[in-house]
Amino acid sequence: MARLIRTEKEVEGRYTEQWIVVEEDPLDRWPEGPLEVVGRPAARVDGLQRARGEARYTADLALPGMLHAAVLRSPHAHARVRRLDFAPALEAPGVRAAVGPGDCDVLVEEAGYQGAPVAALAADTFSEAQAALARVGVEWEVLEPLLDPDEAVSRGELIEEASRYERGDVERGLAEADVVVEAEYRTATVLHNALETHQAVCEWEGDELTVYISTQWIWGVRKDVAKRLGLPPDKVRVVCEYMGGGFGAKIDPGDHTYLAAELARRTGRPVRCALTRREENLASGNRHATVQRLRAGAKADGTLTALEGEFTMAVGWDGFVSSTAGPMKMLYGCENVRTVELGAKLTTGPNDAFRAPGFVEGTFGLERLLDELAAKLELDPLELRRRNGADADPVDGRPFSAKNLAECYRRAEPHWARRGEVRARSEGPWRRGVGLASQVWYGGGGPPSYAWVRVGSDGRATVLTAMQDIGTGTRTAMAQIAAEELGLPLERLSVSLGDSSRGPYAAISAGSSTTPSMGPAVRAAAADAARQIVEIAAQRFEVEERVLSLRGGRVVSEDGKSWALEDVTGLLEDGQILGKGSRGPNPAGMRVLTFGVQVAEVAVDVETGEVRVERIAAIHDVGRVVNPLGASSQVEGGIIQGIGHTLSEQRLLDPGSGRALTVTLDAYKLPTIADVPEIVTELLDVPDGHLTSLGSKGLGEPPIIPTAAAIANAIRDATGADVRSLPITREEMLRALREARERAYAL
Amino acid sequence: MTELLVNGGRHEVHGSVLTTLAEVLRGHLGLTGTKVACGEGHCGACTVLLDGAPALACITLLEAVGEREVTTIEGLRDHPLVDAFVRADAVQCGFCTPGQIVSAAALVRETPAPTREQVRHAMAGNLCRCGTYPKIEEAISTWQG
Amino acid sequence: MSARTLSRPASLEALDETAVPLAGGTDLVPLVRDGLVEAETLVDVRSLLPRGVEPGGIGIGAGTTLADLERSGEVPDALREACRLAASPQLRAMGTIGGNLLQATRCWYWRLAFPCYLHGGDRCHAREGEHREHAIFAVEPCASAHPSDPAAALLALGAVVETTRRRLPLAELYRLPTEDDRRLTTLAGGELILRLRLEEPDASVYLKAMDRQRWSFPLVGVAAARYGEETRLALAGVAPIPWALGSPADLDAATPLPGTAYKVDIARALVGRALAAVR
Repeated sequence: MARLIRTEKEVEGRYTEQWIVVEEDPLDRWPEGPLEVVGRPAARVDGLQRARGEARYTADLALPGMLHAAVLRSPHAHARVRRLDFAPALEAPGVRAAVGPGDCDVLVEEAGYQGAPVAALAADTFSEAQAALARVGVEWEVLEPLLDPDEAVSRGELIEEASRYERGDVERGLAEADVVVEAEYRTATVLHNALETHQAVCEWEGDELTVYISTQWIWGVRKDVAKRLGLPPDKVRVVCEYMGGGFGAKIDPGDHTYLAAELARRTGRPVRCALTRREENLASGNRHATVQRLRAGAKADGTLTALEGEFTMAVGWDGFVSSTAGPMKMLYGCENVRTVELGAKLTTGPNDAFRAPGFVEGTFGLERLLDELAAKLELDPLELRRRNGADADPVDGRPFSAKNLAECYRRAEPHWARRGEVRARSEGPWRRGVGLASQVWYGGGGPPSYAWVRVGSDGRATVLTAMQDIGTGTRTAMAQIAAEELGLPLERLSVSLGDSSRGPYAAISAGSSTTPSMGPAVRAAAADAARQIVEIAAQRFEVEERVLSLRGGRVVSEDGKSWALEDVTGLLEDGQILGKGSRGPNPAGMRVLTFGVQVAEVAVDVETGEVRVERIAAIHDVGRVVNPLGASSQVEGGIIQGIGHTLSEQRLLDPGSGRALTVTLDAYKLPTIADVPEIVTELLDVPDGHLTSLGSKGLGEPPIIPTAAAIANAIRDATGADVRSLPITREEMLRALREARERAYAL
Repeated sequence: MTELLVNGGRHEVHGSVLTTLAEVLRGHLGLTGTKVACGEGHCGACTVLLDGAPALACITLLEAVGEREVTTIEGLRDHPLVDAFVRADAVQCGFCTPGQIVSAAALVRETPAPTREQVRHAMAGNLCRCGTYPKIEEAISTWQG
Repeated sequence: MSARTLSRPASLEALDETAVPLAGGTDLVPLVRDGLVEAETLVDVRSLLPRGVEPGGIGIGAGTTLADLERSGEVPDALREACRLAASPQLRAMGTIGGNLLQATRCWYWRLAFPCYLHGGDRCHAREGEHREHAIFAVEPCASAHPSDPAAALLALGAVVETTRRRLPLAELYRLPTEDDRRLTTLAGGELILRLRLEEPDASVYLKAMDRQRWSFPLVGVAAARYGEETRLALAGVAPIPWALGSPADLDAATPLPGTAYKVDIARALVGRALAAVR
């Protein structure tokens, strides 16, 4: 029965309260461990299309008559348009339309960052559009850039009011501490660089708009575009069949979509607006830099008595202040915690969500601090973490729906025990060491989310839902879940997704929520279809429904008799069995979180500052694992991105002009295959007993969270040097080594 | 008009001096398996073979291709590497995957059973932001089944 | 975008002064497209350039790709290793050794068309700005760093360059920019590198520090080649041009910028290792 509830909704660590209509989730939980299909490794159902280059991405779409947009962007970090003259550009070959501030509200007269869109035009080809841009007459009044987050804070230039949090009494906690450590940690601005850049193709048919877009949230795009253009949502169709990576930056429609829609409206032609790689690295979002001034106090036995942090985030001209203090509030059961988060408004590109926004940065600071504390206490770092575990949410005392961090620690022991052997392999200038860091994150998903399952007379089934697979393998996971419930082999499942006109509302692919949001809805839809199949079979074969079940592509009776599924569905001829399902509510009054720990082994060349990550063991608890193969890919992907943030990636700005210098992929250094260590993935694979009939949580984000801290802690173990700033470039490593030598010398 | 030999077929194509091979493949010949992700020779998504050697189609001028035969992912669709990539889950978002497979095809043609180090050396010009690298290593190590 | 024509000359000997030769195109094509190189007339010389390694008193055709050299058993270790660690596999398969020696700096200010000294402007933006990848020698008036790994190897190997017009030691192919001439090479318009000649050393090595394990330009590259008792050293990534180092002690004379001082430490370590390796 449908039920109206008021519930907390969480995306990327941001909570909102809202009314939601939910269906109950009446299905029995599946037993723990691998089932017939769920819990077993499956190759991607769309792997062949992607590997052969047959999958059509937004980037591959060529509609008849399609025009190409190019966007005039501010070359300055801060400037005002004094004069804008399109006339010469409109006369350029191939140009069909141009828009400026006033024509489309994403175009601005005051550019607050390099790359801010000021004007756009559409031409027959992209090169014509680009060539015509050079002919737009534009006169700039260059304004003062503001690049330093601390300076912005001192000037009161904040994105929003400071966010303060306090529990207990930090002064008392510090007074009671036997040991206090204090340090400043910094993380750099890093860039998403999904290989498919942000892009959309917009096409009007009458008053209906179709948006083909590389997005993480079909329904969010539908809602936002409809609202901004004043259309009923049903007049907006959003399509994203395949997409080339998002990592958090492709949630909103983005300026490019509105520009394409406006230019398409003016020209009566479909219009593509695609960012170039350089535009992507200026104007499509980033993980903002942080400055973290942290303090921790502990008793001699390791009990944390106080945690305190001031977090300044270099948010940029726009964007949200990500919850960098989150790990400090949530990871340990410390009674006295005080944090303040300050979001500096700068003349730099807006930040956007990037795979566990805030928690990647905040975990680097917190888990480095814990290791510095462990050293001062002369306590084993793993033991220190164990002694400070929280049995309930330290923020509000809510019970966890499931928490198996202690088991993760136990499973980490053999990896942690390699310390002696790893250190002993130090040789010449190469010093080796081991470090670890813990992880907390959300990942429970939630309602609303819906799915349909269609079974045809041939005994094949199709899952229909207008969700998106952003490359994480959710299309495959949904097929597995439906196959399990229908007792069908995976080959007999299809999944139709990626089009708002082709299925019901589906959840966002962000915040590690796709599987926990969509999976239970798909299971419910498949169960509804299975129930109908059983009803028909019972009538046809004159047996009781309760003795029938679906297994191995057959309808099986308790007495051992069985019939091929087609013998039942075949009766339908052109008829179909239609199941529908929805995501039930989250457990009331409980905190749903994911936990884990990573153990990193590094080698450091103390003469040249080279850091090589040699091995990372990742132990995470994300509830039931639907596809262990895909899950290990998610873990590896998160860790590898984490290694990039840790060692080689940073957006550099010219300090004078505020212009970005690392906007190309030679200068902005993503990890290559040669930078990848041995990665050992261990997932606990224990269903969360309170979370849906599936018991699965999301896995997209947890693996990137502890990587930087684990590596930096391993560097400390190897060399005694404290790296407190990301990325750990050669110069940062050599600086930390010099500081460690000087410290040793001073003793 | 320029004559271009692609995947065993001859095509007459037209372009200006700075028209790239990638533009022609994707725009004129409809071979969209060759992806363009950076457009300036840094990421490897547009990798094709020119007479068997890996080349970046986004910085190869159409008129400079000459007599060399172009092989794109469409010309390798039945290469056993394709299945190996799918089996090993060396495909996440998939946008870099065709380029990865083209590079891998060049590698295994010369070195059918490459070592881990050889794989890492030969594949370092194909960036994958999803981080499928361990699975790519696995796929290339097991491509012969 | 400035290229108007692409032609195939009948021979390499009489190229027009303004002709811009195109071989692998890995550097030139993006630079022309970005308007950083003016090239009214591109001439496709790829199939005309000599390609391959002639053994014995080694000669290397300018059209030999870095991938060819990486796999060649005929070239000294330092050159082979410098090619192996250069760029990416695709760029090595496309790029020729002649073009590699003439590639432009990776200085982001130059590449992003800041009106810098090297572009004819009045100051080096990197000096006051972000310069972690920049020079430690000859940082005035332009602090850019030369990105070629093979150039450092060939400099240590005492390579002689044969062009369509003359023979010259590799060191003389390069020049530091001056007030009236901002170019970094001494090639005249229409002059083309045809061949490199070098003597087989008794031992040679190339060591490279970079930001990732592969596909990075050198922060510091160190080539060492020993001929009898004499060992020659040359560095990549430390000056606007490939930099010959008389002795390890010459590193004391480095004049790094604040953000490149770390490169001196790296160079010291790698020079020590390179010398030990060729001993």
